[in-house]
Amino acid sequence: MLSRPPRDNEPLDGVPIEFVSQDMLRSKSFQDKLAYILDRVQDNMILVLEESLTPEEKKELITQSVEHIDDTFPGIEFSSMENRPRAFEKMMNTFARRVLRKEQRSGGLTIVGNSNVMEKVKENRNSISLLAKTQDSASRGGV
Amino acid sequence: MRNLLARLFSFFKKQQDISIGVYGPPNVGKTTLANRISSDLTGEELGSVSEIPHETREIQKKERMELQANANTLSFNLLDMPGISTKVDYRDFTEHGMEADAAKGRAKEATKGIVEAIKFLEEVDACLVVFDATEDPYTQVNITVLGNLEAKQIPIVIVANKIDGDNADPATIEEAFPQHPMVEISAKEGTNMEQLYDTVVHKLAH
Repeated sequence: MLSRPPRDNEPLDGVPIEFVSQDMLRSKSFQDKLAYILDRVQDNMILVLEESLTPEEKKELITQSVEHIDDTFPGIEFSSMENRPRAFEKMMNTFARRVLRKEQRSGGLTIVGNSNVMEKVKENRNSISLLAKTQDSASRGGV
Repeated sequence: MRNLLARLFSFFKKQQDISIGVYGPPNVGKTTLANRISSDLTGEELGSVSEIPHETREIQKKERMELQANANTLSFNLLDMPGISTKVDYRDFTEHGMEADAAKGRAKEATKGIVEAIKFLEEVDACLVVFDATEDPYTQVNITVLGNLEAKQIPIVIVANKIDGDNADPATIEEAFPQHPMVEISAKEGTNMEQLYDTVVHKLAH
């Protein structure tokens, strides 16, 4: 790892991590979000999204990322942690889903990365532990 | 009259064409379980088993099987699904002694199998979701499979397999997903299969 800030155009030895705000995510359709995620993770980046994914969205994420697997991209690792909504939030979410036909999100967190650079260590309902692997160990390929 | 015919048709469809999918990640023992069920009920196995991940890369189907428990009979087709995972690295196969080209071919087939299995999540009438009782159950693949089945209100029986393993801890599966009936089995040894059959019939036969 570098012990000083990198100079311009100097290759970085490490794993880039991008944090994506809920505001930015809300401005995108799910398909746009998915394209954004896949574009970045294929470049060995880890994304931290300020929202959880629905089961349907997770299914799409797995399907589309698996369809992208090739010589250099072996797939993804991801973890998604939901906020447990309070009773009033649950009521409002149900109202939004049934009456307004709109999916309301109650925050949460999703971490997704190329499996070349990210390995899940431990996950439960309240915490996620991940190992970010350096580029040296990220040279393994997929199909 | 039309309604009556529709209900009758749906009754017979339900009675004769129930498709039960066997889902889970690779190497949890799905095909061992499908073979055990198929052997018990028809005398024939369904697919080949291997320690190398993604041995099942296409959906294997055994049709017209019948289970009986108490006064209930359940007729069903059993679908052994390819294991669902978020990554397929051909080098995992070369570590098991496969040549690189063969490993790449296997990985390509495995990715197709995963996509096919995910698409079938909406087609099955019920599911046996298989867990390896020696592994951490709280994974995104398990959560995603269960979440999508729950959203479609597809009946689920959780199968905690490999209880014959040294580190088996099926209680962690029950703690992680307490909302579904769970049966602890060893498909390899044939342990608790009668209990599994009773649970499936109780859950699905009407």
